[in-house]
This record gives sequence, C-alpha cells and structure tokens, in this order.
Amino acid sequence: MQPLRMFIAALLVCLLPLGSRAQEAITVVSWGGVYEDAQRRAIHDPFTRATGIEVKPVTYGGGVDALAARAAKEGWDVIDMIEDQAISACDAGLLARLDADEVATDHERVAAADDFLPRAFRACSVAQNVYSTVFAFDDRAFLGEKPTKISDFFDLERFPGKRALQRTPDVILEWALMAEGVPIRQVYDLLSTDRGLRLAFRKLETLRNSIIWWQDVGTPAEMLSDGRAVMASGYNGRFFSAQQKGGAPVTIVWDGQVIGYEVWAVFRGTRDRELTNRFLRFATAPEQMAALAELIPYGPARRSALSRVGLNLESGVPMRDHLPNAPQHVERALYGDSLWYARTKELRTKRFEAWLKGG
Amino acid sequence: MKGHEQTLPPTAGSAVYRICTMTSCALVIGLSVSLAAIAFVEAVAWLNNALLISPRMRVQFDGSPWLITAATILVPMTGGLLVGLLLTKLSPERRPLGPADVLQSVQLAAPPPGVKAGLLSSVAAVVSLGFGASVGQYGPLVYLGAMMGGLLDRLKLRVPNFAAIAMSCGVAAAISTAFNAPIAGMVFAHEVILRHYSIQAFAPTTVAAATGYVVANVVFEREALFLVQFSGVQHGHEFVLFGILGLLAAGVAIAFMRLTLRCADIAKRLPVSPALRPACAGFAVGVTALWLPDVLGVGQEALRFATIEGAFQTWELALLVIAKLALTALCIGFGFAGGVFSPALLIGILFGALCWMLVDTTGIMATSGIVAYAICGMMAVTSAVIGAPLTTILIVFELTRNYDLTIAAMVAVVFSNLVSYRVYGRSMFDVQLARKGIDLSQGRDRARLSTRFVSDLLIKDFARCAPDEPSGTVTGHEGSLPFNEVFVLDRNAQLVGVFDVRKRADDPAAPVSSRMEPVALVFDESTTLADAMRQLEGFVGDVVPVVDAQSKRFVGAVSETDIIKTYLQATRDLRREENATA
Repeated sequence: MQPLRMFIAALLVCLLPLGSRAQEAITVVSWGGVYEDAQRRAIHDPFTRATGIEVKPVTYGGGVDALAARAAKEGWDVIDMIEDQAISACDAGLLARLDADEVATDHERVAAADDFLPRAFRACSVAQNVYSTVFAFDDRAFLGEKPTKISDFFDLERFPGKRALQRTPDVILEWALMAEGVPIRQVYDLLSTDRGLRLAFRKLETLRNSIIWWQDVGTPAEMLSDGRAVMASGYNGRFFSAQQKGGAPVTIVWDGQVIGYEVWAVFRGTRDRELTNRFLRFATAPEQMAALAELIPYGPARRSALSRVGLNLESGVPMRDHLPNAPQHVERALYGDSLWYARTKELRTKRFEAWLKGG
Repeated sequence: MKGHEQTLPPTAGSAVYRICTMTSCALVIGLSVSLAAIAFVEAVAWLNNALLISPRMRVQFDGSPWLITAATILVPMTGGLLVGLLLTKLSPERRPLGPADVLQSVQLAAPPPGVKAGLLSSVAAVVSLGFGASVGQYGPLVYLGAMMGGLLDRLKLRVPNFAAIAMSCGVAAAISTAFNAPIAGMVFAHEVILRHYSIQAFAPTTVAAATGYVVANVVFEREALFLVQFSGVQHGHEFVLFGILGLLAAGVAIAFMRLTLRCADIAKRLPVSPALRPACAGFAVGVTALWLPDVLGVGQEALRFATIEGAFQTWELALLVIAKLALTALCIGFGFAGGVFSPALLIGILFGALCWMLVDTTGIMATSGIVAYAICGMMAVTSAVIGAPLTTILIVFELTRNYDLTIAAMVAVVFSNLVSYRVYGRSMFDVQLARKGIDLSQGRDRARLSTRFVSDLLIKDFARCAPDEPSGTVTGHEGSLPFNEVFVLDRNAQLVGVFDVRKRADDPAAPVSSRMEPVALVFDESTTLADAMRQLEGFVGDVVPVVDAQSKRFVGAVSETDIIKTYLQATRDLRREENATA
C-alpha cells in the first residue's frame, strides 16, 4: 500500500497549487503608473473583497510583441489593451475569443449592447474606457484670443509659436483634414484616398518649421509648462494630471479630439475562462467604470456609468467635465476607427516617414 | 370612354374618410419607404465594402496591389454580368425602371409596370451600385418608393386620384430619406412627378416626406449627404458669375443627357447580346478606375474633395468631369440599373470647382472661395438633368442651412434651366418619354389624350353606300340617317368619297360617285385623340371615317361629338384633380 499512498500524496501536492491558483488568483496586465493605481482602487481591490480572489498585477508597455513574448511565460490572464493593438493581437491568434453575453452584464433593463458605446464588443475584446488625443495650449502664450478649434492648431498667423506633436502619423493626419473643413464623419473616408493623404500632408507642411516632435507621453505637458511649445498634442489624462497635480497653466481644446477605446482582452492560453469572464463582468459593471472615472479622466465605455461619475476623490473636481465622452465634448469628436488604424499603419507610416525626409 | 378610367368619382366616401385614409396611407408609405431606402443604401455600402469598391476598404489592402487591381476590373464587370442576367432573363420588362416610368404612370393615369419588374429593377440597382458602376442611387430609390406607394392602390380605398398621390408619397419619402431633406422631397414629388399643386396631394406627400425624415434622422441618425462651411458671398459681382456658371452648366447637362441617350442607341446597334452589354460598360469603368479611382460608384469622396481648395489640379478636374460624364452615359446606356441624379451632382460639383479654378487662376475677379461655385455648378447641372429647379434649390437650403449659398445656387439653377429647357427639354425623363411618343411638354391634358386612340370611340350607326348606287336612293333615307355624311365604299371596302345627303340631286338616277366629295379628313388606328382634336380644327362635318393604315380599308367612323366629349371629360378630370382639397 505504501506506493499507492505515496502516489496519492504526490498527486495532491501537484494538484493543490493548480486548484488554489484557479480559485484564488488572476493575473491582470496593465500599464502601471497612476492608471494602474486607479484600476487597483476602482476594480482590483473591490473584486478581491467581493470574491476572495486575489488579483496579481503585471505591468507592460503595450504592444503585440510584448504579448507574444511574455504572456505564456508569465501566465497572463486578462490584459488591458489599446483597441487597435487588441485587433492586431486577435488577428495574430494571441487572444481568446470573447462572447459578449459572458463578459458583460445588462444594466437594469438596458441590454449591454445598447448601454455600451458603439462597436464596444469586438471578436477578442470588450471596451472598458475611452481616452482621447487632444491638443492643449499654454495659457500664458495667448492673452487675448484663445484657440478654440482644431483649425487654430494649424493657424500660425493668429496663434504663432511652436507646436509639439507626437512623431507618428496617428491623429495629426485626421486633424489636418478637419482643419481643411472636412466634416468629422467623413475624415476616415477621405483619408483613405491618395488625394486625402496628399491634402493632409499639404496642411501639415504649413506647420513643418514650427513642429517639435515628442516621443514620451509625459513630455507634451512639460513642453507647454517650460515654454518650449505653445500648443501640444497629447493624451487628455496627461494634461489633466499636469493641470491638477503640477498646476501647469494648460487648457485642453476638445474640438476635434480623437477618441480611442481602451479594452479588456483575455490571453488565449489562460487556464480558467470562467475566472476571466467573472473578472470582466465585474470590471465592466457601471459601478466599477464610474469609480475609475472618478480617479482618472478616462470616460466609461457605458452610458449608465457616465451618469454615475461624481467628484474626484482627492481634489474634489467634478470629473465629468474632464471625460472625453462627456456630452459637452463629443459633438466635434472623432471616434478613432481601430480596424482602419490597425490595417493602414504600414501605409501611413511609410507616407509619414517620406514626408519627414522631404523637408 | 372605355377602359382607361382609373380614378373613381370624387364623391366616393366623405371628405373626413378621404382625409383620414390618405393621411394614414401617407404615414404607412413614408415609414415603409424610408426603411426600404435605408436598407437599399446600407446594402450598397455593405457591398462596396465587401467588394473593395469603397476607398476606406481599398486602403486597408494597400499592401496587396494585385488584389486591388483584380477587384477594380473584375467587380464592375461581374456586376454588369449579374445585372444583365437579372434584367434580361428574369424581368418581364427586360430593362431597369426609373423616374420616367413613375412619371408616365402618374401623368397618364396608367397602371405602372408590375411589382416583379420593379423588385428586380431595385435588386439590379443595388447590384449596379454595390459593384461600383458609375450610376446614381436616387432614380432607383424614387422608383422603389413609387412602387411601394402604388401597391396600396390595390386596397381599393375609394379615394379619387389615389394611385398618383400614393406614388408621389413614396417618391417624397424616398427623396426625403436619401437626402435628409423633407421639404425637397415633398417639392420633388410635385415638381417632377405630379406636376401640379393640389391640397389633396400636398398634405399626404408632406406627411410622407416628414415621416421619411423622422425615420432617417431621429431613429437612425443618418448623416447628411454633404456638409459644407460657407461664410457668405462677399462680392456683388459674383452673382453674375453664378449666372454664367448656370449657362455653362446647362451645356454640360445637355451633353450629359444627349450622350446618355446616344449610348443607349449605340448599344442597341452593337452585335452584343443585351445580357452582356452592362458587363462591357463595367469593364470600361474598371479600366478607367485603375488610373482614376474616383469614377467608381457614387463618388462620395470626390464630392467632398470638390469643395476643398487645392484638392484637385485644374486638369484633374477637367479629366474627371469628362470621364465621369462618359462612363455614366456608358453605364446607363449599356443597361446598368441606376439613376442620373447623383452622377449629375458629382459632374456638376466638379464642373463648378473647375470653373472657380479657372476664374481664380486668371485672377481677374475676387471670389469668395470654391464652395459657392462648386455648389452652384452641382445644382445647375442637376436641375437641368432632372428638371427640378425648385427641388435643387431647396436641397441646397436644407443640406447647408445657408441662406447665402441658397441664393447663389438659385441664380445658377434658374439660368441653367432656362437654357436646357429651350435647347433640349424639361428633363431627361421627359425626353425619354417623348422618345416613346409621350409628349408632356404640351400639358397634361394633351399628354393624356395622346395615349388614347380614336379607334376606341368607333360608332356603328353610320351610313355607307356603293359608288354606283343612284343618289336618289341614298337621299331618300335622309330623315332616318344619324348623320348627313354617307361614306362611299368600293367593292374592296376602300373609302372613295363622302356623299352629303342634304345636297338634293336634280337627277335622282345619277350615281353617287358623280356627286360625292373627296374625303376631307380621315383617321386611322394610330390617330390619338390629341391628333384628332388638332385636325378637327377647320373640319366641317359630324363624323370622320377611320381606315386601316396599312390596307386603307374602311373600318368605321368616329363622331366629332364623341371626340369633343372625351376631350372635355379628360380636361375636367384634370381640373378636378388639380383643385381637389381632399
């Protein structure tokens, strides 16, 4: 009997960690910094309190390559991604397919599909919050008339000074067409043609000698503060924290903002789909979305959550004024087409690099 | 008065009944037509995306140029093949249907083509547009709307002029939905289809147009066709330029219409089966699109670029105007199912932009920018093609909500219409109908009479005799004859003369042939009531003989009284329709 007992004991020892892991911990991958901090307070901790399941945070810097290299090795379960990267990762077969009914619950009598923003559910992802690329200006630079429209960003006559832009073809081409008077709904249709691209680069050309490029998302706000630029493109959350925490004299212009979705995705090699679904249902509930939006200015991806957003817990600022998808900001907002982004990246980059060299 | 009466006497039912019935029918038509129109447009957009016709999809496959090239050539060709087969093998009419058919049916109070032909024509239009043919979507939408409205006529609701009003409701709803322009939809139905304003028709078409607008705008939140920003006309002299632009646009419109009808004639003479003709046009579109992708489909993107300064070079605009004009004429002439409305919009806006660039580069005059000229050109060409100046002016107003722009467009539209009406005709639809023998230019009464034939009014009780009969025998019957004229027929039943029984003979034995008079007026089976009315001027007599056009054999006679009665009845029906209140 001795070998049998030993075998059973060995089996138990082997199975225990598996069982306990599936029951008690889930690995959630996110971006670190204040963003992940807010997620921990709004989602992870309440999840552990409600279910007893521990959330193991892992930090990454985004990108499909990181997913391919690290996910299996580190046992990733749920990943916080930018939507176009999630689409690319889904196409590459790195993500699990999601069933909308299993990852989101209805809100009272409103079906989840009606409550979420349009196209929130994709094959491998579900939208959780929205961020936006906006431009902000240095209050001290323009004492009289202030920029209010996206065309003002391109107007060097009325608003002279350096423009800080991210060194990618994202967003600036859309802005260039908007400044040409193209209605927001037609921007991607026109940008899809060779003529549209030429027109956008022609507009960008008028700024060529006034552009300072930035690469790190933290720099645009700094460039405005230290006077290196008078206007800068950047993420709304970064400008917000520069205003609130750093007291930087910057004002955000919402006109022409390009809204992107931040999504939840599930790694294909995850060991417990029921556990990931349970986490996603919790994380996409209106209460959690609203709680997150009270900490950082990322708009909830559900309408029912937007109406719950109140004051910032630390500063007491009413957060709805600072959310990209607040009703007062969306009239002239462009919802980024992630699929188009993912599939035209190469072309846009090629044309952008050629334009950079052309100067 | 046989057969053609479709409308019931105006006394059917009470006014309240008629108003309630008509209004609820207008609601039903407005709702169903706008849903169908949205489905139509969505189906086209879906096909455009799936088949790599829309730039937004094409750019996503930029990495595989061979795929794009293959799709550009093969898709329009395949579409042409499908359309050719659909129409020639399945449709009873063997051709696509459009606004001209609606116009014919409404103006002549004649039954429209069958539902099967209408549905197949709509499917063929979805295929044509979805596969990238250079045709428009509004013509098929107008037909679809009219067909759905006309279907309610089967309920036999005992409302006078029901069919015409119901079809107009469908048209109004379709235009209102497609353009997001309810006023223009309502006016289009009156200006192009009904061609008169009566309260009886006005109320239901307005209800249908408003319903279409609510469905498109409030329920589905459809976007407008085009949005422009325009700060106003800055110089007074520009209105002269708008007028000149209108005159030039008339030339473009006439060229477009002539070429389209000419292409149809050429296609008939080619040794290619009708089923394969659209595929030939599709091939031409595909090959051209390799160099000029703007010619594919409706061309929404080019429409937008035309209002942006510097989006096109001058030569590009000229080339595109010519290419779009020729390819659209080819596609429609060779049997693709589609309209001329949206191609006219595109050709016009490009032409307007071209004219502005020419003025701007010479620098002789200050202008207020490309937008006003592009919009003026667009509306001037379109209004001449569809024969609807008021509608086009209102479309500008509703789409841009810009008063200055509307006035500028108005000037251009009026001059364009003036010229094209004089030189060519009221609209392309009118010319199409005129080629089928239906002339609407002389008024609705004349047109309706043109479709009815004197042979339907033949009477039996007239007198005839042989040439060798003694005249005394014939005059002896004078009191018992219905008319004073007696037709003299030879043995082969050929009419040789007319004998007036009142002319008493000195010699009763003399044969009729010696005293008869030559035939002053004779009709045949192709004589319409309109012809008859014209020829009766100056005719003295009571009856007119009718002979077979081929054999010249005598077939009967019509009385002048019957012709005049029918004419008066037709005019009275029209007056009643035009002044009807409910």
